[in-house]
Amino acid sequence: MKQKRIRNFCIIAHIDHGKSTIADRLLEETGTIDSRDMKQQVLDSLDLERERGITIKLVPVRMRYKSADGEEYVLNLIDTPGHVDFGYEVSRSLAACEGALLVVDATQGVEAQTLANAYMAVEQGLEILPVINKIDLPSSRPDYVIKEIEDVVGLDCDDVILASAKEGKGITEILERIVSGIPAPEGDPEAPLQAMIFDSEYDNYKGVICYVRVVNGTLRPGRNIRFMATGGVFPLEEVGILNPDFQPCEQLSAGEVGYVVSNIKTVAEAHVGDTITEDARPAAVPLPGYRKAKPVVFCGFYPVERDDYPQLRDALDKLTLNDSSISFEPETSVALGFGFRCGFLGLLHMDISKERLRREFGVELVATSPNVIYELTTKDGALVEAHRPSDFPELGEIDEVREPVIKLSLFVPSEYVGKVMKLCQDKRGTYLSMDYLAPDRVRLIYELPLAEFIIDFHDKLKSQTRGYASLDYEFTGLKAADLVRVDVLINGEAADAFSFICHREAAYHRGQSVVRKLKELIPSQLFEVPLQASIGKKVIVRQNVKPLRKDVLAKCYGGDITRKRKLLEKQKEGKKRMKQIGRVSIPQEAFLAFLKVEEDDE
Amino acid sequence: MTSNSGEEIVSLFSGSDPSLSVYVHIPFCAGKCPYCSFFSVVPRRGEKEEYCSLLRTEMRFFGERLADEGKFVRTLYFGGGTPSLLSPDEWERLFDCFYHTFSFSERPEITIEANPESLTEGHLSVWKKHGVSRISIGVQSLSDDELLWLGRIHDADAARRALEQSVLSGFSVSADLMFGLGEQTLRSFKRSVTGVLDLGADHISLYQLALEEKCRWFAIPPEDRSDGYPFYRWSQWYLPGKGFFQYEISSFSRPEKECRHNFAYWTNGQVLALGPGAWGYAGGIRYCNERTLPGYFRAVRHSGNAVAEMEKMEEERRVREAAVLLLRTSKGIVFEDFASRYGHGNLLAVVGILEEGVPPACLSWSSVSVALSPAGMRVANAIWSLLVV
Repeated sequence: MKQKRIRNFCIIAHIDHGKSTIADRLLEETGTIDSRDMKQQVLDSLDLERERGITIKLVPVRMRYKSADGEEYVLNLIDTPGHVDFGYEVSRSLAACEGALLVVDATQGVEAQTLANAYMAVEQGLEILPVINKIDLPSSRPDYVIKEIEDVVGLDCDDVILASAKEGKGITEILERIVSGIPAPEGDPEAPLQAMIFDSEYDNYKGVICYVRVVNGTLRPGRNIRFMATGGVFPLEEVGILNPDFQPCEQLSAGEVGYVVSNIKTVAEAHVGDTITEDARPAAVPLPGYRKAKPVVFCGFYPVERDDYPQLRDALDKLTLNDSSISFEPETSVALGFGFRCGFLGLLHMDISKERLRREFGVELVATSPNVIYELTTKDGALVEAHRPSDFPELGEIDEVREPVIKLSLFVPSEYVGKVMKLCQDKRGTYLSMDYLAPDRVRLIYELPLAEFIIDFHDKLKSQTRGYASLDYEFTGLKAADLVRVDVLINGEAADAFSFICHREAAYHRGQSVVRKLKELIPSQLFEVPLQASIGKKVIVRQNVKPLRKDVLAKCYGGDITRKRKLLEKQKEGKKRMKQIGRVSIPQEAFLAFLKVEEDDE
Repeated sequence: MTSNSGEEIVSLFSGSDPSLSVYVHIPFCAGKCPYCSFFSVVPRRGEKEEYCSLLRTEMRFFGERLADEGKFVRTLYFGGGTPSLLSPDEWERLFDCFYHTFSFSERPEITIEANPESLTEGHLSVWKKHGVSRISIGVQSLSDDELLWLGRIHDADAARRALEQSVLSGFSVSADLMFGLGEQTLRSFKRSVTGVLDLGADHISLYQLALEEKCRWFAIPPEDRSDGYPFYRWSQWYLPGKGFFQYEISSFSRPEKECRHNFAYWTNGQVLALGPGAWGYAGGIRYCNERTLPGYFRAVRHSGNAVAEMEKMEEERRVREAAVLLLRTSKGIVFEDFASRYGHGNLLAVVGILEEGVPPACLSWSSVSVALSPAGMRVANAIWSLLVV
């Protein structure tokens, strides 16, 4: 295929704005897929995604299109994940393209993530074609949305396409514009090989399948290829294209998009963003932009039934075959037994992973509330990475604590601005800017600690704006903060499992709520049990579990003795299952409640 | 169990202690109370007569053998069920048999449980004639509403009459009272307590409504049960002022009117069990008779006794149980007695657990013993659960 007849493009859209439907129509229109065979939204490969109506990954697909100019073109549609957790993957997908369709819902207008992705595309030099979708809806207001795209995104909308993917309107125009508006790829097919991996997945039969964009040179089976970041060398077994099924071909050369199979066992050996070159004639440098995805949000996964631990481990092993950005290591919890501490790119990534474990591997699990990693410097200059409160050194030894922060963009109807600002303040946000996108729509930008964001920010935002706000965020690094470890003492003894990290100013309030919860859940004992929350040696909250004052008392005659003894033994057995801290018995529910602790309302 | 079980039990009684207590279970009730988990049935025609005749067989089996061993009965207790459901004539025959087969100590304590609806003058005179000393009446409450709520088949007046007649006939009378009932108030409970005191009871058993596995209410408990604490707390304050001392978790009496039979249970004294589902204790072994009426009938016809199960416990469990039982009583654990019976090491272990795990206010220590204080009795289960293994 001649390079100049190739067009590589992607679709940028907010959830629900119709990306998948447009993709389906393009496939139909180009005859790539028969409309008879069309399931709705063919390209969504995971059931889960289809069910939630959100798209995490689409497989790249090649279409043949005979344009009005009489020529036949190859159009490669490369997907971009639709969620902020996958910002890096988005950037790699964009890097594989020369152009992007910016799809905006004719009713709802531009949303935060759309904007972020559009900017990223602009930054990477992609040609952007605005498409306004769902113009068939009675509530659509294309003029308003056009103005918004011009004002907010700053794109020229003279050539905007008005479409209704549902009714098939505007599809031909889109195809024509792809041909005329997006430049053909450049690159030298004879140069040393450089192919960028923009996605990879594990297949039971073929092993790891890498989706690549060939930038320079040519991929031909039979030669050895080298992964430049990991250094792995593998025989190239098969290359091919997707239309949308796997279809092997003889070669993929500069400008083309396709897949590569080379007997790789895990996706961890084929990182997204890595450059494939030829082992015998390697490129001098890899393609720019590679980095290893690093988990930022952590939580514990525990099997519901303790005996299912091996199943959970197997399932995680298999899941990471397909998704190398998940990390996991064994962990034990007083309340939940054996499980794993898992790291994810973000909250949605965590939810999806949990859901996939459940559906694809049949593992029922309990997830603990998410947390982040802190970085500390001690007074003697050592650097400590703290995954859990127990990793924090003593208060006096800490010089500085740094926590991950994000830059958070919020698109909010103006009537909710006050509430959202209040929410951000409560979450220790730092105000950066506010501007009106339209008279009734505001963009707020805050810097927010990631730890505060992952607790319940989404839910609160949704409930306070009745679902009308959208958000996007990016990590901006680590920032020093006045964070302290709050310890909980039960009857004077520190109970590790209940320690937590929070901002010094929130320590009293959070300590109060943990202690109050424990007071509810720890049954009365023979002795009064003081519960305290402390920072270092300083007690900030104290409450008591009142001592037991009565039991059920009954007569005891001859026949009762054995039965009563057995009841007492059973009672004692129940107590043994509780965790003893000093002489206090703490029921499992207390640990569970803490793992899922939500901030109580005052 | 084989026919030898009865002989084996007899041999367990052959230790140095010549005295024993006898518990006889009368497994019949006019109706089954929804909260009761004791074994009893509503008798069919002829069943009581057949039971009494087999009970006499069982008496003869043990009575003759034990008398030969030189054993004598210090306390005899008829519990149920509802012993007053047997007719005075049947009682006549039972006592005849008893006195013929067993040896008795000089002034044995003989107690019979009676329910207000079935107790008659006839019973009282037969019992008086045969040396019965105590009558324990299942009053439960002197409030008609509470009795109705409990599903009792008598009213408060019947209970008052039964108490009054028993006292007038010269018996030492105990009343069972319950707390933690639906709609029960401290005021209504006080009326029940003062009512039985005014009628002349010299012993009160107080217990909280507790629903155990075999009762009808276990599966669907009534929702309006009241918290038992205030009733018990109040009784501990009120009754001593009236000359009633708490000598055990649920027992209050005037001086010298304690139930000696029950002490046999709390001190691991020797108890011979007669009747279906009755429990006995001898030679460190607790045993139980056949738990159903047909099973009992079959066993006694076949071998003269109905011993069905024996519970052999390893030492630690047995010793700890002994400590728990002693701690039911206000006398508590007398160090010297306990050490000589169960060993010094075991005494130290028990005392250690109490010192370590029980707040001082819950215990009452003397130089020779330790017992639960009134506050300790209120949380006795929690304390005992520290002791069991």
